Formats: sequence, structure tokens, C-alpha cells
Amino acid sequence: MTFLSIFPKRVFRSLAFEFRFRLNGWTLTGLALGLLVFLPMATVLWNLSNPPENWEHLKETVLGTYLMDSLILVAGTVLLSVLAGVSCAWLVTCCDFPGQKFLEWALVLPLAVPTFIAAYGYFDLLGIIEEKMIPLVIWARTQSPENLDNVIFLLDSLKYPVTILVMASVLYPYVYLLARASFSSQGSRLIEAARTLGYKPRSVFFRVALPLARPAIVAGASLVAMETLNDYGAVKHFGVSTFTIGIFRTWLGLDDLSGALRLASLLMLFILGLLVLERALRAGAKYDESKNARLPFRRYRLGPVGSGLAILCCLVPLAFGFLFPLWRLGSWALSTYEKILDWTFFKLILHSLSLAAISALVIVSAATFLAFVGRYFKNPSIQASNRLAILGYSVPGAVVAMAVLIVSGQINLSLGVILTGSLVTLVFAYLVRFLAVAWQPIDSGMDKNCAHLNEASQSLKSTPLVSLLKVNLPLLRPSLFAAGLLVFIDIMKELPLTLILRPFNFETLSTRTYDLTSQAQIAESSVPALCIILMVILPVVWLNRKMEAKP
Amino acid sequence: MTLLRLCLNSQKPTYCYPMRPLLTLFLFLNASFCAMAAEINVYSHRHYDSDAILFAKFTKETGIKVNVIKGSADQLIQRLISEGKNSPADVLLTVDAGRLHRAKEAGILQPVQSEKLQENVPLAMRDPEGNWYGLTVRARVLVYAKGRVKPSELSTYEDLASSKWRARLTVRSSSNIYNQSLLASIIEANGAEKALDWAKAVRKNMVRAPRGSDRDQARAVASGLADVAIMNTYYLGILANSTTEADREVARKVGVFFPNQKGRGAHVNVSGGGVTSSSKNKEGAIRFLEFLTSPESQKTFGEVNYEYPVKIENNRSSLLKSWGTFKPDGVNLSILGSRNAEAVRTFDRAGWE
Amino acid sequence: MTKLLSVRGVTKAFGSGDRPAVDQVSLECQKGEILAIVGGSGSGKTTLLRIIAGLEIPDAGEIDLNGAVTNAPNAFLPPEKRDCALVFQDYALFPNMTVEQNVFFSKASKQRKLEVDKLLEQTQIAGLRKRFPHQLSGGEQQRVALVRALATQPSLLLLDEPLSHLDPELRDNVRTELLGLFKKTQTTALFVSHDTEDAMAMADRVIVMREGQAIQVGTPAEVYSKPLDRYAALLFGKTNFVPLDLIPNAPHHFQDEDSNEKVVSIRPHDWQVIERDSQSSNSAISGRVSSVRYKGTHMELKIEVETMCILANVETSHGVMEGDEMTVFPTFD
Repeated sequence: MTFLSIFPKRVFRSLAFEFRFRLNGWTLTGLALGLLVFLPMATVLWNLSNPPENWEHLKETVLGTYLMDSLILVAGTVLLSVLAGVSCAWLVTCCDFPGQKFLEWALVLPLAVPTFIAAYGYFDLLGIIEEKMIPLVIWARTQSPENLDNVIFLLDSLKYPVTILVMASVLYPYVYLLARASFSSQGSRLIEAARTLGYKPRSVFFRVALPLARPAIVAGASLVAMETLNDYGAVKHFGVSTFTIGIFRTWLGLDDLSGALRLASLLMLFILGLLVLERALRAGAKYDESKNARLPFRRYRLGPVGSGLAILCCLVPLAFGFLFPLWRLGSWALSTYEKILDWTFFKLILHSLSLAAISALVIVSAATFLAFVGRYFKNPSIQASNRLAILGYSVPGAVVAMAVLIVSGQINLSLGVILTGSLVTLVFAYLVRFLAVAWQPIDSGMDKNCAHLNEASQSLKSTPLVSLLKVNLPLLRPSLFAAGLLVFIDIMKELPLTLILRPFNFETLSTRTYDLTSQAQIAESSVPALCIILMVILPVVWLNRKMEAKP
Repeated sequence: MTLLRLCLNSQKPTYCYPMRPLLTLFLFLNASFCAMAAEINVYSHRHYDSDAILFAKFTKETGIKVNVIKGSADQLIQRLISEGKNSPADVLLTVDAGRLHRAKEAGILQPVQSEKLQENVPLAMRDPEGNWYGLTVRARVLVYAKGRVKPSELSTYEDLASSKWRARLTVRSSSNIYNQSLLASIIEANGAEKALDWAKAVRKNMVRAPRGSDRDQARAVASGLADVAIMNTYYLGILANSTTEADREVARKVGVFFPNQKGRGAHVNVSGGGVTSSSKNKEGAIRFLEFLTSPESQKTFGEVNYEYPVKIENNRSSLLKSWGTFKPDGVNLSILGSRNAEAVRTFDRAGWE
Repeated sequence: MTKLLSVRGVTKAFGSGDRPAVDQVSLECQKGEILAIVGGSGSGKTTLLRIIAGLEIPDAGEIDLNGAVTNAPNAFLPPEKRDCALVFQDYALFPNMTVEQNVFFSKASKQRKLEVDKLLEQTQIAGLRKRFPHQLSGGEQQRVALVRALATQPSLLLLDEPLSHLDPELRDNVRTELLGLFKKTQTTALFVSHDTEDAMAMADRVIVMREGQAIQVGTPAEVYSKPLDRYAALLFGKTNFVPLDLIPNAPHHFQDEDSNEKVVSIRPHDWQVIERDSQSSNSAISGRVSSVRYKGTHMELKIEVETMCILANVETSHGVMEGDEMTVFPTFD
């Protein structure tokens, strides 16, 4: 009497069915991959349970500063980005004025400028303002201590508006893109309804269009917030002590890795909490009118004064975020390019391009595989591990690098395989950090196009591989392309993670820019900086076209 | 290699034939030995032009190729720790003794002894056990606005805490290792409590929140925003010899003052290096350090990068001479490392960002 | 009865070279009246409605509404200032707002809380106040859209295909309800529909539109029994176009453009069908039954006569069979 003979045949057949759909090569690989990508984040979270040696000290002294500075910076940048992004999106979608077509795509250009390069473009802004304040300071020194304190406080606080301005000028396109998509998809129907109910066009914007666009605006704002917290170059330059600065300082200054990771995990939880809160606040209301036929939108024609104001309103963010930095970097580059452009520089470009391209390929493939396995096999554990795998985006790149360093250090210890300093580790770290970026368009593309087709394919008894290759991939082509471009752009612009993990003598354009600037060769750094921008412009404009083309 | 040529050039008598397998074996061993002797991997925080010149010279003289990976010392140390015994690094170069000490504590450096090294580097400028050796010296001095401050008003670091300097100082961020080492030396000299009071008072005396590099502090002094700044000597040299007129102007407008001359001496730090414990080419690494501490190399450091040689009295650079001689703080620089974490915590408590 | 709406010579073309969507249309609407505009797709009825609402600007023509000039060669009153409200075909409810927020969206409604509440009661959606549009059925959404429009107390209520999104079996009830609501609230309504049953059930007068032009105006009964052309006749159901010479004493005929002769429209149920009788009157037509179809309420016969095929309805008990020789003659009032 074997153990197995206890079970009747019926049970076996259902178990086999279970086996087919729960555990097979595909699902196991998917689960393994998802958990592997989650591993560094797990390391970060695990440090929450470890009381680090310096935690009390951190709490008493600097944690408040990190929190305060981060909050001020994020709040200010988000506010300014939303203001610029939403107003421009509205003008460009719903109004008709000369130059509207040009501005519609041009407003996206600042996306090509990484935050640290924007900071270099404005590197002396704070210094110039301070110099203007010198007479005030000299006068204040002769005044009472309270007055002097106030003036000093004022001087100290200047860094916030300057940093906020610099960051918002290159981050507003996130809000702009999403708000624009929302406004143009709302269609004219609801606007007309509001007008027949007695609302003037301007009121219609605030009472109808804006509330309907809320999820899009919030999504854009959360992207802005995450990019702000991720930045290392700009905040370091202007002296704002965000969480990222604190994480670096605790890790390297106090030599306390677990303390740094604890800060990082707090940050991660905070961000996740915000996202959950927003979801909850939305409860019940739906925001898209997908069942409505999309009628061509009848634009509101602006008179000469209105047109002038509209053009001005759109040109301001564009000027700050793109035209001025480009002009500045360009004039520096013209005077220094002979020094910089040599054979090794072209190698640099090659490194950057190939790294970004190969990583994009890897990440898009991983995202497709994971999304497919999750949907095709309808396995809840895969879907859960997928959700975990995309968490890497919610922490700054520096933290991902540190976590990957720990993980590969462990592997090194136990297996003797040296992974740190290899391209494999770097690409893996990119995977951990940017999986979410590729995941989002691919998953929603699969949701829209492939769901019922997978079921049809399953009922026709074809294998998962056939379904993936013949059914899903062809339909997903636009999503795959968009995902690849997004990841490519993000990797080309990435700095802190690459700085920490780059292999032996492997430089990219962003690391070279940072190195030159940290040696106070700001003018020379403009050449690699410009290269980054120029190389990313094309994908940015491309992506913009894709987003506009959506009906 | 030469043996091969000899063998081939010979008439190839019949008795050479059985030698062939032996020859190949010998060649293989020779080749791998050459390969091992042929290069060293250097993890360096230094990013100065002088280094490129010297490394090339070293390769020319010894035939050993120098592969450099640049990064901040902190990240390089983390990398070395993570890589462990499989790390390809042979030498670690930093710009601060504190980090060298930390590297030693982390076990990534190994003690090495060499006559030349002990001859070239004074005891205070190297690890007593030979884990690291100083290569150049930099002093952390006070620079003051020539028109507005008389040298007689300056005396010590500690004096900067007095209220007469209210809203007249500017110093860079405490995240920078030079400041951390300075505070470490103050903690060593005056004790933790006094050091905390000092840091608090100096922060209060700053005209603006810490930001920018040492050179930015000098520029602030020249522009009139501040009257006194703390900075490293070699940056002043870089400013004085800059290609931009504005920088040279800044250098002209500020004066150099070596503090604590009546006491323990001005705070000095070394840029130094050590052989990693995972090094596969220990010999080459030692030769490299010896080369860098040799008098010729020391001269190059002075001329190209305005750094003092490890034996300060050997200084040949006229610019450095123009600042005057000074008494350096004679404490062994290992304490800069051992008190580093405490210094950072002190800065945190003082609110010095 | 006072004239509420006056539309004169309104024309609108989209794009040059195409025929105008609305071509020189004129109509009038009295206070308290319920007017229907019917026509097939592309007849321009929706465009006309949108022009009256102010959502499209006509190329020519004038419109007065409740004493105010809304459209004139040099004047255009924007939709938010017009004294009319529009119920959209797809309801256009704001998806991110509750029923209550939708209904009380307009400024005017906020000052009429009590009346609007009563409206909600009357339409039996008061219990759904806190729900969101996507949680409602089609009929409930329509009522919300209706109340939202009525809440502004407009002089004229415009409705675009009010019943097209409803399930067929509900339509009859909704027609009755709508009519009742309009009468009770004394609403003047103008609605557009491609379904002539709506017009017949609810409208006081009907306007038939074809290819942008208004081809006939009259009560539903008038248009039904006295159409002015083929198109208008067929719009209201199956009919027979009999040449006038075959039925000389028909009370109404029209000039058919296609055959360029005078024809009479006789509905299938307006025939009396008897056994072939050679002694019948002038208007009798004889022929052979080619098909008999059972339609539940009646039998539909096809009778072959020399030049045409006549459609006639008889009671189910009639007993006629295929192949019978029958005589039909019209029953005139």
C-alpha cells in the first residue's frame, strides 16, 4: 500500500491540472526572476528590523533635517511642476493660438536634461544671488543679533527656491505629459455638458477638466517627487540635505551601512504610503470616459492678448528647463571641446550607448516575461512577486546600488564568484531599479490587447511559448517600443547608481560629467553633458509622438 | 623571451629537439610571470593631473602597466570590502589619512615593509604597522580677506568660535573628509565636549549654510560675502595658477594663515596609499609606492599639484615657499581615522550640515 | 401660445465642397410644446440641435430663444448664457462626481434645492444620490442627465436621441414617463430621434429632415398619413406608393421625384382585403397573393398587381392563402 494509492484517481487528475497551471518551468522561472529582482529591496527592508548602531544618534540629530529638507524640496518642486505642467497642458490641448503645434511637442524637451546637469547649468545662480545680498549682510553685521540672525536665515533659505526652480524646470514634463494625455482624452463631450449647464470656459477648466485629470496629475506629481528624492548631484551642489544625501552620509561618513539602509527603507515606505493614500482617496469615483466616442476636440480660439499670454506661459518653463541650460552648456562646449573630444571620448559615447541599449533590452525582456507569466497562468504568487519586483523604482538609485553591493558581496563570500565591478552587476542593478518603468506600459498593453486572446490561445491547446511569440509580442510592439525608449532614456540620464557600481575603467557620459564637475571643471563637463542631452532628445521626441498618436 | 630568440637563431642542432617541450613550458612560465609583473590595478581617489604624469613615468621606467579606477575613497573602500579576497585591486590611494585608517580597520590593506618607504616617509606620516604610507601633505589653513582682516586678528582654529567672527566665516560641508579629519584632530587635542562647542559656535558664525568646494569658500571671501574661510593649501595653488583670470584674482585677494603655530601646530593631512590584502602583484605595488615617495615624484607633486612633500622641509616649490614655513600638528595621523565617526556625529549634533 | 424658439434659415457646412449638414432650416416652437425632429443618419438633425444649443456656430441664419437673440449675422450667444439645457445622447455625466454632485452641478440648480429635490423624487432616483455614474443602469443614468438639465430651469429642454441607449423593452415605459414629466413640469422640449415611434408617442409636432433640409412639418398624425415625399413616408413605417390614377379620389397625394408622377401613400393597415370582385369601385385593385406572413398581431400579405407589389395587413383570422386572387381597396376616413 503506497502512500499515493490512498488518493482516488479523480484527485490525481485535478492535481495534475493544478500542477500544469501552478507549477511548471514558466512559473518557476518567473517566480525566481521576480524574487531575484526583489532581493536587493528585501535587503533594504530587512534592515528595518536591525537596530543600527547609530539610529538613536540619527534620530536625535539629523533625521529631522533630512525629513524637513526633503519635504520642502519635494513639496516645492511638485507644486511648481504641477503649476507649469497643468497650465501648459491645458493651453496646448484646448486652446488655439499661434505656435501651439510647436509648443505641444517642444514642452517635453526638458526631459532630456538630467537634474544634475540642470544644476550645473545653473551652478552659479545661488552664488550670484548671494553676491547681490552682500551689502545687506554687511549692513546686518552692524545690527542687533536678532536682525543679523534673520538676514543669515534668509541667506540660508535661498537654496530652497533655487533648487526647487532648477529641479522643477526639468521635471515638469512628467506632469505635462500625463495631464496632456488626460485632457485630450476627456474629449469635448463633458466640456460641452458643463457649458450647457451654465459654466464659462474658464470655470469649466477648474470645475470639470481639472478634477477629471486628477489621477493623471497625481501620477505625474508622484513621478516628480520620486525623481526629486532620487537626485544626488543637484542637492549636493546647492547644499540641500535630502534623504539621499543623508543616506550617503550615514553610509560613508559614519561607516554605517545598515543605518543608511534603514533611512532608505523609511523613504521607501513613505513613498509607498503616499501612493496608497492617493488610491484610497480616489475610492469610488471613476475618471475615464472610455465608453464615450472620442470626438475631435474643438479648440478655444484665443485673441491676440490671450495668445500672447499663452505663448509666454508655455515659453517660461521651456526656457528655464531646456533653452537656457542648452545655451549655457553649448557656449561652454564651444570653448572647451577641443580639449575633451578625443578617441577616449568616443569610447565613452560607445559605452553609454551600448550600456543603455543592452540594459533596455534585458529589462524589456524581463518585464515582458514576468508580465506574460503573471497573466497567462493567472498565478497569484507570480502576480505578487511581480508587484514586489517593481518596488525598486520607489527608492533612489544610490540605495539600489548599495543593496546590490551587499547582495553581490554575499554571493562573493559564499560562492567566491566576484560580481562587483562587473557589467553584469551594473545591468542587474538597472533591472532592479527600472523594471517598473518598462513594466507599466507593457502590463497595461497586455491588459488592453491580450487578455482574451490568451484565453483563446489556451483553449486551442497551444503552448505558452507560441502564445507569447505569436500572439502577445506582435500586438505589444508599440508598448515594447515605448518601454524600451523609456528605459533607455532613464539609464542614459542615471548617475548615482552608475557611480557606485561601474566596472573597472568603465566610464559613461554621466560619470564623466560628474567627475569633471567635482574637479571644478564645469566648463569641460559641458561636452559630455551636452552629449547626453543630444542623445536623449530623439527618443524623447519619439515617445512624445507615440503618446500624442494615441486616440 | 630572449632565450627563445637565442634558440631560434642557433643552428638548431639535433639535440635541441627534445628540448622543445621543456622550452614551451619555460616560455609559458616566463609569459605568465611577465604578465603578473606587467601591471598593477590602482583604486584611487586622487584625480589630479600630476598622477597621470607620474603613472606614465612609472610605466616607462619599470614596464609595469598602471590601471586606474577612480572613485571616492568611501565608495572604493566599500567596493574593496565587497570584493573581498577576490578583488583585483593592488593599491588603494586616498586623499585623506582617515580613510586609510578605515581601510586598514576593514582589513583590506596589508602591512608591507621596505627600506625605501621607511626612508622616504616620516613616522608621523605613515601607519606604524606599515599598512599605509603618506605620499603628499596638505595643510588645512585659514584664508582671509586681505583688505578687511589683519593677520594679527587670527590665531587658532579655536578662536574662530569667538563672537567677533559672527557672520564672517564660510566653510564647506561637514560631509567632506577634510573637515572631518580637522575635527578629529580637534577632538584629539581638546576633548569631545569642547570640540562640540567649537563646532556649534563656528557653524553659528558662518554667513551661509555650508555649500560648495574649498575653492568656492575662497571665492566667497574674495567677493566680500565672508572674511575668513578654512581650506586646503593646494586648492589655493590651483586658484593662483588657474587659466581663468577670475580665479587668479581670487588668489590675489586672499592671504594664507597657518593657525595654532604657538600650540600644537597647523592641522595637516596626507594623501597616501597602501597595498591591498588581495593584491596579486605585491612586489609591483611596493615598487609603485616607493616610486611615488621618491624625491623626483615628490617634486612633481609640488610643482603640478601644489602639494607639500611628505618631508615638508624638502619643499622646492616657490609658490608653497611664498606662504611661509609652518609648524605642522605632530600627532600621528591614524587618529584621524579612529576618531572619524565621532567627528561626524559631533558635526551632526552641532547642526553643521 | 407664445413663440419660444424661432429658427430662420440656419445653414451649416463642415468643410468646403460638401453639401451642408444643415441647409436653410426654419422652424418655430411654441411654449409648452413638445417638438420632435426626425430623420435618418446624416440628415443633420443632431447638428441642428447643437446649433440651437450653441455648441456649433452656423454659417448663416438667425435664432431667437425666449426673446433673446442667440444667433444673428453679427451675434453669437455662447451656450452657457442661453436659456436652454441639453441632454446628451450618451448622458455626459461627470464620472468623478456622484449623482448628487452631477445634478447640483449648475449654479442655477444650487438656488433651487427644493424643486430639484422634488424632481429627483418624481423620477425615482432620489435614493441614488450618493452613487457614481458607473454604478447606475442605463435608465438611471438617463434620468440623472434629465434631472441635471431640468435643474437649471431652462425655457427650452433639448434632448439628443433620448431613448437610443435604452433597452428596447424599456422604451415604451420611458416614453410615457417622459411625456408625463414634461407635461407635469410644463417643459417645452425639442428632441431629436431616428426612431419615429418616439415622435409619435411624445411629440405635439414633428419636423422631418433629410440631407440637411426640413422637408415636412406637422402633427405626427399629419405626417404619418399625409407625407410630402417618399422619404418622409417611409420614415414612419412601411407603406405603398400607389399612382394617383389608380386611386383617383384619394384625399392626399404628392409628387414623387423618382417616378415623376403623382402618388398616394397608403399604409398596409389602411387596405380592406376581400375576395376578388370584378364589380368593385374605382379604387379597387386586384391581384394575386404571392406571400402570407404571420406577424403575431396581423398577417402581412404581398399582392402582385400588374405594375407593383402591394403590402396589406389583415387580421389573423382572415383565412387568406397564398395564390388566392384578392381585391383590395383603401379605407379613407
